[in-house]
Amino acid sequence: MNAFLALVNLMIFPGGLFLLAGGLAYEWGDRKLLAVLQNRAGPRWFQPFADTLKLLIKEEIIPDKVNAVLFTGLPIVALAGGLTAALYVPVAGLAPIFSFPGDLIVTLYLLSLLSLCIGLAGANTLDRFSLIGATRTLTQVFAYEAPFLLAMLGPALVAKSWQISDIATYAHSHWLIVIQPLGFIVALIGLMGKLEMPPFDAPEAHTEIAAGALTEYSGRGLALFHLTRAVELVVGLSLVAAFYLGGLANPLEFLLKTLALLFVLIGLQSLLTRLRIDQTVGLWWRYGTLLVLIQWLVIILVMR
Amino acid sequence: MNTPGTFERFVIPIGPQHPALKEPGNFQFTVDGEIVTEAFVRLGYAHRGIEKAAEARNWTQDLYLLERVCGICSHVHALAYCLAVEQLAHVEAPPRAQAIRVLVAELERVHSHLLWMGVSGHEAGFDTLFMYSWRDREKVMDILEGLTGNRVNYSANMLGGVKCDVDAAQADAIRTGIDFLEERTRHYLDVVSKDTMFLERTRGIGIMTRAQAEVMGAIGPTARASNVSRDVRAEAPYAAYKDYPVEVVLDERGDLEARFVVRLKELFESYRLIRKILDTLPAGELSVRMPRRIPAGEAVQRVEAPRGELFYFIKSGGGDKPERVHVRTPTVCNLTSVVRLAVGSQLADVPMILAGIDPCFSCNDRSVEIIPQGGDASQMMTWEQLRQHGIDFYKGLNK
Repeated sequence: MNAFLALVNLMIFPGGLFLLAGGLAYEWGDRKLLAVLQNRAGPRWFQPFADTLKLLIKEEIIPDKVNAVLFTGLPIVALAGGLTAALYVPVAGLAPIFSFPGDLIVTLYLLSLLSLCIGLAGANTLDRFSLIGATRTLTQVFAYEAPFLLAMLGPALVAKSWQISDIATYAHSHWLIVIQPLGFIVALIGLMGKLEMPPFDAPEAHTEIAAGALTEYSGRGLALFHLTRAVELVVGLSLVAAFYLGGLANPLEFLLKTLALLFVLIGLQSLLTRLRIDQTVGLWWRYGTLLVLIQWLVIILVMR
Repeated sequence: MNTPGTFERFVIPIGPQHPALKEPGNFQFTVDGEIVTEAFVRLGYAHRGIEKAAEARNWTQDLYLLERVCGICSHVHALAYCLAVEQLAHVEAPPRAQAIRVLVAELERVHSHLLWMGVSGHEAGFDTLFMYSWRDREKVMDILEGLTGNRVNYSANMLGGVKCDVDAAQADAIRTGIDFLEERTRHYLDVVSKDTMFLERTRGIGIMTRAQAEVMGAIGPTARASNVSRDVRAEAPYAAYKDYPVEVVLDERGDLEARFVVRLKELFESYRLIRKILDTLPAGELSVRMPRRIPAGEAVQRVEAPRGELFYFIKSGGGDKPERVHVRTPTVCNLTSVVRLAVGSQLADVPMILAGIDPCFSCNDRSVEIIPQGGDASQMMTWEQLRQHGIDFYKGLNK
């Protein structure tokens, strides 16, 4: 019975299918609202589902002179990373299914798998757009990852635990956005960098390098990468909301808080111009890291 | 290919099919990391043989053909052609017709500049600007449709005059539309000169100094953004521009921001002209009679298209068809500057630099230059040779 329950948890709810569907629904919200803000009609509600389904059905073309195992394997690794990360995060306002001391670090690394896989996938092909895209993706990882990690560790410091469920419980009685506003800003913007949302979409700037690292991908591989990004959107939003916006005690709270965060992200996306990759790196190391270090200094000084 | 100690050149091809280009053109940028070290342009993908086709049609048919050289600035092509043919026939269109020609030309400039701003915003990854400026552009498209009956190839001109008149109701509709557009343009000028993130992508990027602009023969708003006062409307007023003088908008910075600012400020100048023309439209006939055969001779006509100077040369042998029509569109003159400015800039800025001159490839492609493989000597072909070359080429493909 326990094994069956674990299987349901993994495959259907709250992991697996539920997460995929939720991710696509959030992706639709993102696309639709962005469209409305930009004075467009935007896609219908089932468009992300239809896109994914179509891509999954299509033939996957493996280009010449690539490592076929890597080419097909990387999207699977990325998606597995995203789905596994979700197991440690209070998605849908429920307690995480698995939890152990230090799972915060594991989760953050699992979330980074997507960018690494995209970078490797781009570098694996011989396409020139892919190579430039892969370089940019990996450059961007080094730009946002450290500040983002530090911003997510801020709540861990005050909660005196590196276990996500503990931090979420602590955050439930403390709205950390009030105490650590700088950390919150860096975490939220870091999430945009992670998901390569505008203005951090230089790695896939289609007016320069077509589809960037994923130029050679079609069919299943592309669908899996898209799904991973959708899943990471939900997981990332849940994580930031759980840490900074007073925890996620029930599904309603989850919905309200993550959607509120999503609205902020969409607003930023519609307002800002794409940054060049050198500007992205400059922004993160000059301002992002500095902000989060100031935040840490404040936390340490106050806690003493 | 790689021997130790040498590096293979890493060339990024942009085009002929590329998301940044709405028309086919091929640019090859050699990059060192993100920095462009060499740029190469290859054109001719949209060659349609319009100049040759013009020789096979009569004077009136050519008007419709030449209007289709460009989908954006169709009116100025027809205008230049009409003015040149009228010169040859020693006919002058009545003042009311000339004023309406200028009116449509300025409305077209408004539509072209708004379209350009959207495309440039898109190249920079600022899609919101793209969507909003194109929404507002619909207003001027509606005005043009109300005036001439067409949204794209307005067909307002005819030899010896214009086909459409402006009545009081239309004048009011245009005024209301222009008021709305002026307010929006003020807002856009605010955005492109104050939005910090956008300025990061435009200020100080792709700087063309005045000396460079003069050497490379840049024209139109691209040259005016580098403080080169070049505007046919002011230098050699044609149609009704003598009665409605234009103030040349200049900027001395020469970067992408200046190109935005110059084009947007030109819009205010256009709005002013449009209002003035509507207020003081001369009464009278719309057209005069043209002879079917045009006397033998040669004529040159320059007009200011939204992208810069447009040049027409027409030779008549005294028949009902032209002997030669030559068109030089503004993009040809400005493309040199793209190749020059791209070298040394970041790859991410290249689409913006390219868009900065407002390129229009289908206007552009009318001559064929053959570059033999392995050599750099180019050769020109006669029409017959070219035809034979084409036949041989495609036969070779079928083998």
